[in-house]
Amino acid sequence: MSNLTLDHVVKRYSSVTVVKDVSLAIDEGEFVSLLGPSGCGKTTILRMVAGLIDPSGGTIRIGDRDVTRLPPNKRNIGLVFQSYALFPHLTVHENVAFGLRRKGQSGAALDARVGEALAMVRLAGYGERYPRQLSGGQQQRVAMARAIAPRPNVLLFDEPLSNLDAKLRDEMQIELKRLQRELGITTLFVTHDQAEALSLSDRVCVMQDGVIQQFAEPETIYRRPATAFVASFIGKPNRLAGTIRGGRVALDEQLELRSESDLSGDGRPVEVFIRQEAISLAASGDESVNRIAGTVALRSFSGPQVKYVVRIGSDQELVVEAPSSGPAGDLAPGQPVMLEVHPQDVLVLSRETAP
Amino acid sequence: MRSWRTGVLLFSPLLLVLAGAFIVPLILLAPTSFREYQPGMGIVAGSFTLQNYVRIVADDYYREVVLRTLGLGVGVTVACLLLGYPVAYLIVRGRPGWRLPLTLLVIFPLMLNLVVRSFGWIVLLTNRGVVNNLLIDVGLIEAPLKLMFNVTGVTIGLTHIYLPFMVLMLVAALQNVPRDLEAAAATLGSSRFHVFRAVTLPLTAPGIIAGSILVFVLTISALVTPRMLGGPTYQVMATLIYDEYMQLLDWPSGSALSFALALATLLIIWISSRMTKRWAGLA
Repeated sequence: MSNLTLDHVVKRYSSVTVVKDVSLAIDEGEFVSLLGPSGCGKTTILRMVAGLIDPSGGTIRIGDRDVTRLPPNKRNIGLVFQSYALFPHLTVHENVAFGLRRKGQSGAALDARVGEALAMVRLAGYGERYPRQLSGGQQQRVAMARAIAPRPNVLLFDEPLSNLDAKLRDEMQIELKRLQRELGITTLFVTHDQAEALSLSDRVCVMQDGVIQQFAEPETIYRRPATAFVASFIGKPNRLAGTIRGGRVALDEQLELRSESDLSGDGRPVEVFIRQEAISLAASGDESVNRIAGTVALRSFSGPQVKYVVRIGSDQELVVEAPSSGPAGDLAPGQPVMLEVHPQDVLVLSRETAP
Repeated sequence: MRSWRTGVLLFSPLLLVLAGAFIVPLILLAPTSFREYQPGMGIVAGSFTLQNYVRIVADDYYREVVLRTLGLGVGVTVACLLLGYPVAYLIVRGRPGWRLPLTLLVIFPLMLNLVVRSFGWIVLLTNRGVVNNLLIDVGLIEAPLKLMFNVTGVTIGLTHIYLPFMVLMLVAALQNVPRDLEAAAATLGSSRFHVFRAVTLPLTAPGIIAGSILVFVLTISALVTPRMLGGPTYQVMATLIYDEYMQLLDWPSGSALSFALALATLLIIWISSRMTKRWAGLA
C-alpha cells in the first residue's frame, strides 16, 4: 500500500491532447474518484496509471517508485474493468488465482488466498463455476476478488458499476466502499456518475477536456464548486444569467438576490447557479433568506418528488423540486408561489470561466 | 417450431444444390465401389467384393499413398499455422493503418488461378529454376537441390495456396478476443509472452482448430498442385483416384478410394469439433 502521484502528466494523440498537464496526489489508503463526462480524459489517466497507455509527458509514482515507463505487470496494481474482463476459459477459482500464480504462489497457500478473496466479495463456494454461469453482479464481484487477491499497491476501477442495473449498483457501491475500507488500499475510481463519486470517495477530482476542474472532498465539490463547469455538472442546478449590482446579484431590473459568493465588481456579468433541491416552496418567515415571487408554469410528478417549472422575474424560469407528500406537493399551473433560497445556496461565478 | 421451418426454408436452396451435385452422385457411386474390376474387361456386372476397400489398407502401395496424404495434410496444416498466426496477429493487433494492405496481401493470391500459381512455383523450384540458380550463383550449393517432384515442392505449393484460409480464420478468432482480457492479464503480472500463452492462445483455440480442419481437408483432397509439383511419381490420394478413373479406368477402385477419403475427412472433422468444445471449455 502506498500513495499515488501524478506529476504534470500529458497525453497527446497526434494532434489531440486528451490529458493536459494533470497533477494529482492521492494519499495512502485514500479513495479518489475521477469524475467527468465521457471524453474528459479520466479513463486515459487510469490507463496511464495502469501502464496500458504510455504518457506523452510527466511522471507517475506509486509510493516512491517512478513507474512511468514500467510495463503493467511490474507495477503491482489491481484493475477492475467496466467489461469485467474475466477469463472465460478459466473457472472463478483460476481467475482469482491468476495474479497470485504470477507472484509465485501455489498449493495450499494459494487456495487459502483465493478462498479469502472470494469470501470478501461473498462468493465463497463459487470457485468451480465458469464466469458465464454467473450473473452480472457476481461477475463484477469476481473481477474485484481477482484484483484484490494479489494485494496490489493501488486499486483502479474503470466505471465498474455502469453495466449493472440501478438496484444492484446501489448494493455494489456499499460493498465496494466496505471492501476498500477493510483493505485500506489506495484507490482510483473512474466514473461519470456524480452520485457514485460523491458517495464513495474521500476526495473527488472533477475533470473536463483533460483538465482538472476541482479536486476536493465531496461536500466541498457539492457546496463550493470552483468553476461554472463543476457547478453545472454536479447536482441539478438552475443556471441563470445575472449582473453584480451593489453587493447583490441582479437577475433583472427588479429581482436581486443575496449570496455568500464573491460579489465584488459592480456591473460584472455573472452566472448564477441555484440547485433545484435548495429552493423551498414553504414560507419560513426567516428574514435572511431570498424571496422570489413567481408563477407555476408546469408540474411534473415523479413519485416521491414533484417538479415545478416556476416563472420568475420578467422572463426567467426556475426548476423547483419538492416532496410530493408535503403541502407544496399539489400546486396547479397558474398558481402564484413564493420561493425561498438561502444566500449560501446562491452560487455566483464569473461568466468568463463558463464553458 | 416456426423458427425451425424458417431455417429449413432458408437452407433449402443450398440443400438442393448439395443434393443434386454431391449427395446423389455419391450414392450412385456407392454400388460401384463394391464391384469387381477385370483389366481389359471392365466392371464385372452383378459382382460383389470388399477387395477394393481391403486393398487400401492391405496393399503396401495404397497404404503408402494414404499415409503420405495424411502426412502431407499434417505438414501443410502445421506450416500454415506457424506462418499464418503471426500474420493474423499483426493484422488484428498491429497498427490500424496496416490492416487493409496486409489483408489484401493475404487475399490477393486467391484471385489468381490455381494452375497459374502452381506454374509459378515450378518456375521457382525446378532444377534450373530461380531458387536453385540463385543458390548456386551465391555459392551456397554446388548441385541443384531437389525441390520438386517430392514432398518439399508439394508442401511449399499447398502451404502457399491454403495460407489465406488459415489467416482469415485466425483473424476472425483473434478479433473475438477482447483487448481488456489481455490488459487484465498484464495488470495481474503477466509478461507479454505469458499473456499470449495463458489468454490469447487458449481463446483463439477454436479458430486454430477450425483453420486447421479447413487446411487439412483441402490439402488431402487437393489434385492440381500435387499433380503439377509432385509429378507423375509422387502420388497422393486425389491424384491416385484421378489415375484410377482416367488412366486405368478402374472405377470400382477409384470409388472405394473416394469413399475412404471422404470417410477420413468426416472422421477428422468430427474429432476436431469435439476437441474444440473441450478446449474452449464448452463441453
